[in-house]
Amino acid sequence: MEKIIEILINGLSTGAIYALLALGFVLIFKSTGIINFAQGELAMVGAFVCYSFAMLMNLPYILAVLIALVIGALLGSVVDLLFFRRMVGEPMFSTIMVTVGLASIVTCISGIIWGHDVHSIQSPFTDKTVAMGNLVISQGTLYTIGLSIVLIILFILFFNRSLLGIAMKGTAEDPDTAGLMGVNVKKVHMLAWAIGTMVAVLAGIFLAEQSFVRLSMSHTGIKAMAAAILGGMESIGGAILGGVIIGVVEGLAANYLSGMELGDFHFGDIKDVAAFAIMIIVLMIRPHGIFGKEKVERV
Amino acid sequence: MLKVINLETTYNDIILALKGVSLEVPPNRIVTVLGANGAGKTTTINTISGIRKTLDLAIEDGSIEFEGQVINEREPHQVVSMGILQVPEGRRVFAELTVDENIIIGSYTLQSRSHYLRNRESVLGYFPILKERGSQLAGYLSGGEQQMLVIARALMPEPKLIMMDEPSLGIAPLVVKEIFQIIDRINREKHVAMLLVEQNANVALSIAHHGYIMENGRVVMEGPSEVLKEDRDIKEFYLGLSEMGAKKSFRDVKHYKRRKRWLS
Ligand SMILES: Nc1ncnc2c1ncn2[C@@H]1O[C@H](COP(=O)(O)OP(=O)(O)O)[C@@H](O)[C@H]1O
Ligand SMILES: [Mg+2]
Repeated sequence: MEKIIEILINGLSTGAIYALLALGFVLIFKSTGIINFAQGELAMVGAFVCYSFAMLMNLPYILAVLIALVIGALLGSVVDLLFFRRMVGEPMFSTIMVTVGLASIVTCISGIIWGHDVHSIQSPFTDKTVAMGNLVISQGTLYTIGLSIVLIILFILFFNRSLLGIAMKGTAEDPDTAGLMGVNVKKVHMLAWAIGTMVAVLAGIFLAEQSFVRLSMSHTGIKAMAAAILGGMESIGGAILGGVIIGVVEGLAANYLSGMELGDFHFGDIKDVAAFAIMIIVLMIRPHGIFGKEKVERV
Repeated sequence: MLKVINLETTYNDIILALKGVSLEVPPNRIVTVLGANGAGKTTTINTISGIRKTLDLAIEDGSIEFEGQVINEREPHQVVSMGILQVPEGRRVFAELTVDENIIIGSYTLQSRSHYLRNRESVLGYFPILKERGSQLAGYLSGGEQQMLVIARALMPEPKLIMMDEPSLGIAPLVVKEIFQIIDRINREKHVAMLLVEQNANVALSIAHHGYIMENGRVVMEGPSEVLKEDRDIKEFYLGLSEMGAKKSFRDVKHYKRRKRWLS
């Protein structure tokens, strides 16, 4: 029993990382119509920035995280200004290719700056655990889950209670009409990139907490995309649920299937394709994703 | 208040949609622009609103002045902050947002909550039905209710001028009558000037003070509503259409076009 709770909690924290990445992904997609294939790379940059400030410059961990978040927001704004501001309304095919290009540029520059080695970030939670009865959970895991929940609640409040959040939803649905209501559409797009990158950076920092900082951590982006598609690409709730499902299933697969072998096939390896397997199955049953809906028809 | 002088615009750099349109909206007045499909009515008000980039619409010549300032180059949100609000064609509610949220976006330029609450109270006074629908998705309202919502939304920031694009389109005649009475009341009580684009000449001329007839990207006729209502061609072509519901023969239309071309 403890074992399964432990697996679920660990899966939840991995899921939180996917959920945050997926959330940024959906935010950018909904606001600007651009599918950002560089989401994982932005997370990777965030982790490296945090690493630089926390480990190389020896700043307090919290400060390093805050600096990384601010740099993330700036990076997102700059990416919008340089690449995507002029591409709004262009065919999806071209915008996707630009984000794919962006992903390789970001990886290349990061390689030049930080090298190809594996690093780790020492946080106040590293190597510490909390024991609850027989249950032993690492503090990093609880930190990831707790902060993700806070952030997600803030997001939901922002989009349902604040003027800017509601205006962003309207802009996502119909940018021209939002402009006719006085919304500065360019500003909203830039904000979406800034926030989307900022949550990606946080996801990168959480990922570093659970494993390492390295260039290849950007591959998580693809799983986050699977999570977003699973959730329906439209809603924040969907992205979160998609992320959590994939994280938990991965955890279950890794624990219960590892050790099982059939010839040269290790069942534990299913963990790495679990995300996509679930995505495919769900899309076959619900083509619009779990929360996805066909557009509300005008009467 | 609003002066459009000799406006020429193109789509995609080639299609000349407006070929020198001039019109004026004085303060506190309702001015209607009548014309058949494709005449250039929507293009005119979109150009004024500054939605050019997404439509690939460009001003080639002429100018748009509002309260003495040339606003040719303004972005949509800047035009709004000058006090010009558009109620777009085909209702364009934010279908996936609630009625309340639609009205909140309308108040975007207000930025103060107490101001928002005050305006909301006064605007919903004209459309009590929207009060009951507050938490419903706007996409599920009836056509008439959606039209009321987009008018209410545009009223939120206390505009000086509202440009309405065919508010009667696709709405039951009885509701059209109700909506036009409300538009008339808003104009008189809130002193909002209106540029009212319509194909339904009958109902538009019933509340407008002045009217323009557009055809093929040009203004072919203008005058006070009383005069336009009595004009034989307009009576036959526009009023005839809506009064009797019978389509005039092609020859009548040609006669009308010939005469208008000759006039301009
Ligand atoms: N987005 C567009 N791209 C190209 N041409 C357009 C576009 N919108 C309208 N037009 C053309 O401009 C002319 C005027 O259209 P419009 O302003 O919509 O007329 P109205 O509102 O009076 O029905 C028409 O010939 C139409 O085909
Ligand atoms: Mg039109």
